[in-house]
Formats: sequence, C-alpha cells, structure tokens
Amino acid sequence: VTLSEGARAGTGRELGMLDSLLSLGGLVLLRDSVEWEGRSLLKALIKKSALCGEQVHILGCEVSEEEFREGFDSDINNRLVYHDFFRDPLNWSKTEEALPGGPLGALRAICKRTDPGPVTIALDSLSWLLLHLPCTTLCQALHAVSHQDSCPGDSSPVGKVSVLGLLHEELHGPGPVGALSSLAQTEVTLGGTKGQASAHILCRRPRQRPTDQTQWFSILPDFSLDLQEGPSVESQPCSDPHIPPVDPTTHLTFNLHLSKKEREARDSLILPFQFSSEKQQALLRPRPGQATSHIFYEPDAYDDLDQEDPDDDLDI
Amino acid sequence: MAAVASCGSASTGSAVATASKSNVTSFQRRGPRASGTNDSGPRLVSIAGTRPSVRNGQLLVSTGLPALDQLLGGGLAIGTVLLIEEDKYNIYSPLLFKCFLAEGIVNGHTLLVASAKEDPANILQELPAPLLDDNSKKEFDEDVYNHKTPESNIKMKIAWRYQLLPKMEQIGPVSSRFGHYYDASKRIPQELIEASNWHGFFLPEKVSSTLKVEPCSLTPGYIKLLQFIQNIISEEGFDGSNPQKKQRNVLRIGIQNLGSPLWGDDICCAENVSNSHSLTKFLYVLRGLLRTSLSACIITMPTHLIQNKAIIARVTNLSDIVIGLESFIGSERETNTLYKDYHGLIHIRQIPRLNNLICDESDVKDLAFKLKRKLFTIEWVQDNYLRQERNIYPPGFSYLLKQKDSAWGEGSLQHSTFLMSFLAKATAFASRLVRHSEPLKQTGSGRIHQAAGPRLWHDGRRQEAPGLLGIPL
Repeated sequence: VTLSEGARAGTGRELGMLDSLLSLGGLVLLRDSVEWEGRSLLKALIKKSALCGEQVHILGCEVSEEEFREGFDSDINNRLVYHDFFRDPLNWSKTEEALPGGPLGALRAICKRTDPGPVTIALDSLSWLLLHLPCTTLCQALHAVSHQDSCPGDSSPVGKVSVLGLLHEELHGPGPVGALSSLAQTEVTLGGTKGQASAHILCRRPRQRPTDQTQWFSILPDFSLDLQEGPSVESQPCSDPHIPPVDPTTHLTFNLHLSKKEREARDSLILPFQFSSEKQQALLRPRPGQATSHIFYEPDAYDDLDQEDPDDDLDI
Repeated sequence: MAAVASCGSASTGSAVATASKSNVTSFQRRGPRASGTNDSGPRLVSIAGTRPSVRNGQLLVSTGLPALDQLLGGGLAIGTVLLIEEDKYNIYSPLLFKCFLAEGIVNGHTLLVASAKEDPANILQELPAPLLDDNSKKEFDEDVYNHKTPESNIKMKIAWRYQLLPKMEQIGPVSSRFGHYYDASKRIPQELIEASNWHGFFLPEKVSSTLKVEPCSLTPGYIKLLQFIQNIISEEGFDGSNPQKKQRNVLRIGIQNLGSPLWGDDICCAENVSNSHSLTKFLYVLRGLLRTSLSACIITMPTHLIQNKAIIARVTNLSDIVIGLESFIGSERETNTLYKDYHGLIHIRQIPRLNNLICDESDVKDLAFKLKRKLFTIEWVQDNYLRQERNIYPPGFSYLLKQKDSAWGEGSLQHSTFLMSFLAKATAFASRLVRHSEPLKQTGSGRIHQAAGPRLWHDGRRQEAPGLLGIPL
C-alpha cells in the first residue's frame, strides 16, 4: 500500500490523528488480532472521551464488567454507563434491569435519548455481535446510530455520536469485515514490530480521498495513551548498497553522445515533413539545376508516341 | 424499441419518425399518416433532453457526462439500466450518480432517488451545478490548460500527426438540449431543485421492522422499492396509461449502493448466501418495469464487496450497460508513471445490443478518468502517453532517448527510422494513422508462427487490437 505513510511521528500535526479519532464521529473500527490486542486501546480511548466530559456507554459482551472496569480510576468508572450482556446474554434470568431487544435494543435506546451532548458508544466487541446477529441487521443499526447527527433541521439537536467497535479480524471472513469497513468513518488496524505497537489509521471523509497514517504508541498501565516515534528503523535504500548502479552506456558498440557541433547540426535540420517558408521558396524558385539535366530519348519504330490512342500504329 | 412503441398509440408516430430519421434518403412523408392517431400535435414529439440514436433508433438520454455518452454510443437508451460498479472508497461513483440526476433536473425530467445510506433530499442538495453559459466554459478551459505538463507544450517534431488527433472530449459546441457539463465544485442552485419534480425513497423510513424473509424471495427493502417505483410509474403516466393528458416526460431513477448490507441484502457479507437470488430478482423485475415505461435507471453497486463472483456475473448479465470504476488510491498503480495524471480507470464492461445483433463495442480498452477541481474527464491513457512524445517508445528505447546528448534524440535519422518502424507495428491507436498497404498474410500453420507483435491485419481488417495495457495483471 503506497498511501502517504507518516511513519515518523515527527510533527505535532501528525501526532494528532490518533487523538482526534473521536472528534470525527461516526463509526471507528478497531481491528485487532491475536498478537496485537485492541481492548487496551479501546479502554484508552474510552478514558480519553470520559475525561473530555462526553457521555460514554459501553456494551460489554465479551468480558465481564469487573474485568472491563479494572484499571480505570473511580471517577472514570462513575462516568461510564455499562450495559452488561456478558453475564446473561439471552436474558434467562428475566430481571428488570435487563434491556429489551438485546444489544441492538440498547443501541437504539441510547440513540433515542433526549439530552444533547456528544456521546461515545463502545462496542466490546463487534465480533461478538457479528456472531450473534445477522450482519445486515448489525450494519443497518450501526448506520442508523452513527448517522443520526447528520440529519439537519427538525429533530432535536443531539450531539455527535461516536461508535467505537472492536473487531477481531481473524474471526471473520473478508465479507463481514469489508462490509463493516465500508461503513466505518475511521479504521484503525493494530500491528507492530518487536514489542512496539502501531496503529494504522485510515480516515475516510465523506467526499474526499481517504488519508492514512501509521502511529506508534503504547498504553500506560492507567490506560492513557502514549504516542511515540517509531522504533529506530534504518531507511532501506532502494537498491542494494553492495551493487553499485551500473551505467549501461559504457560498453555500447554505438555512439550515444553528440558533440556540440553535431547537436547544432541536428537542431538545424529541417525534417522532411516540416513545411517552412524556406522550403516553400525553394520549391517555388526555378531550380537552377534544371538546365543541366536533360533526358534524351530516341523513340523506336515500335514506340507509341501518342499514349492515348492505342491504334495509332495500325496501318489501315 | 418496445419501450417506446408500447407507450400508447400516440407514440407510434414518433417511433416511426425517429426510425425514418436514420434513413439515408431525404424523402419526407407529406400529409398525415394513415395509421396515425387523431393527435393534432406535432408528429415528431420530442421529449426534452432526449434524442434518437443514429445507430439503432433508440431514444437516448444523456448520462450527464458527454464523454461517457460518446463511449456508450450516444447516451443511455430509455428503458435500460446503467450499472456502475463502485470504486473501493466510493469517491467517484457518487459523482457519476449525481451528474445523472443533475442532468435530469436541467432537462426537466422527473427524478426518483432511492438510497439506504443518505436521505434523498440531502443527495439532491449536493448535485453539481451545470455549466450553462460560455463564460464558465472559458473558465474551465483555462483550468484544463493549466494542468498540462510543460512537456506537452512543445510542438512535436517527429510525431506531429498526433497533434492533429481529436481529443477524447470535444469541449466544443455541445448542444444545449443534450448533454451538459457540470462543475463538481459548486452546488446546483436551490431554485432548480425546487422547480423539479422528484420522489425520494429512503429505506430506513420505509422499512422499520425486520421481517422474516422466506428463502428465494426478495428482501423487504427490495419489495418496497419495486412497489414504490411501480406506483410512481403508473401514477404519473410514464407507462402510457394517461396518453392524452400531459406532455410526456422521462423518469430518471437513481438507486444508490444497491446490494450493500444497508439494503438488507447479505451478498456482501458472506460467500454462501442464504438468499442469493434476491438482488438478481430485483434487477429482473426492475428491468421489466423500465422496459414498459419511459424511464432510465442508474444503479451504483459495491461489487468489490460481493464475495460470490457468480452473483457479479449474473448481475452484469441482467444489466444493460455496466461500467466499472477502479480508483488508484491505495493500489500500487498510484506510483506508476503511466497513470500519474489520472485518478483511476474506467472499464466499460458491457454495452447492450438493443434491437441489434452486434453491439457498439469500443475498441479502445484503456480509459482513465480524473477528477480535476471542477470537472470529471475521461481520457484514453494513450493520450497521456502520446502527449509526451518520448513515452511512446518501449522502455529500453526511452532510456536511450533520455540521455542528454543522445544521438537517438529527436531529429536524428536513427530516431526517425525507428519511429516509423515502431509505429507501424504498434497497437490499435497508432495503427489507425499509419496505414499499411500490404496485409500480413501468414503462411503455414497459423497462430504459433505468427510474429511477435499484435495481430493487426487479417483479410484487411483488424482482428485483435489490444490496448497498450494488455498485460495480464
């Protein structure tokens, strides 16, 4: 992939991309894998948006609530609204606090809220939802949630909604992953080398070219995000440094170079199809060589002098 | 064409008139036709924004891009479906979609916009503004010339005939009734939208609950859309049900992102789909509706997401014109010097055979598009090649030319003779100009012994004319 790679996190402008993930709104897809897990990045982003004063709703389906909340400070924990679908996913215990409609019902209920202000919804995880719900239903629900703020006018002014979804890439085929990434505004793919995690962020703004950036980071124990420069990567030279570049013109059997005089002569050459005024004059002027060349022709007895009458030599 | 003929008897006059326009004779019928109706209006009823095709007499509408109209043989025939395979990040296909709709507004056609992603009212707000007067034409002419590379301003000395070639896009007198240019950076004026008649179909509003879908039937979203289209066609008389009442008009239908999961169709989500015939049935029924009415339809489809290639093949067969957009973003072609001025390739995958045995397949395979600040242009990739004279040569030779004092530079004898012989053997585009008088007759056993080099001449006609990019990728 040859998109502009900002692998060196040098300027402050580039550092901002991971920070501003949530400010764009819409669906942010965090794609992780077994080697590079994404839940810590998800928690770091949740912490950041909670510190910004946004409302944070979490649909926890994959891990228990205690496990999810550990590592957060108490004030952040108090701000998080946790909808637990891990303990009782099929609602067998039929208690009052269970939300009707399952995870999608909870999503729609969050959207129907009336208080303004930006909202961050974290889905932990989208893979769980994909395995339990049909993909089309999930896509439609995510689209409805993340594009709610784009309707102008009559509806009550609700704030921007960001949906953070954690997706385990290896669990799904290219179909669901492709469908979800076509819906997503931002896609963060986690990777890394040698103990250093990196996030490849692909940002799709609605009618512009997608921009991407690779950001090296690490997550501190209190789930704050530490942006870093990449590991010291020696820039690979394009060609192998052991082989010097070969100059192919050295052992040719013909001459590739022109001397100055030859070049002048070449530039002043008039090509046969170029019709310049000199050529026109040369053609119009009576040619001086005309008098010197004559054609002497002695007709035979059998020659036709009159080309048009073939019977001229008939003797009738 | 069945569509025009079945639109009531009032249209037989115009159907025959359009057919007679394509006759060679200049004899005109005088007096009323014997089989004509009592319609006292003009016999040649022309609907604004349409024109008959000179090839097969079909009634054509413009797609909104005059260059695309040229490639499709004049325009989009009424009653047919234009399918656009979206590019990967869905940046350029919405522009084609919007140009089609904007053309409808400018010509006064009725619009029907269906989408599961965006509200149709928002789509209409974002249509590009038409370039209607000469001042703006001059504006974007300058825009065109500013972007030319400095090398192209050098007059060509050897390959001078290429300067006389017509450019792909005739930015010249475009008839104001058919085909307009649109400015992608400006929005259409609000009064044009308000003056137009349009109907919108936004799926989340129409289908609120998830119904149980029986296998081998259409998904609810598709059923609703077909019913909506059918209602509009019959209510507004596009199928000839109210022949005498009002001026006939064309219905332009635009369906965005068909087949994506937002329509409730899971062909993009899984390879073995439980209901894989939903989309194909939809297209079949839609084509039936279109053929019996004065309408034309544009559909954009994210085929790069469809997992099962058989479905793509079926969808292609069920559509009339199929155009694929392939953008260079994120692919390795972005750095290829051949493509450096372009944003992507256009593949014309299918052109219909309407009342014909053959279709008007263009022999130029390498079309590329670019979205300049204002305008969306389509060009042959060879044009870019040929504008830089050096690049029409094979890579090894162009290396020799790039040497500073090369004896193979322009104007030298070696250069000229090489050029003549190379061009003589070159691909279709160049061979149109450099004509050989003797065809290559192959003796002995056929294909194996044919020389390297494209098979250009056989019985005096070109048999295969691969593009410059005929390399399997």
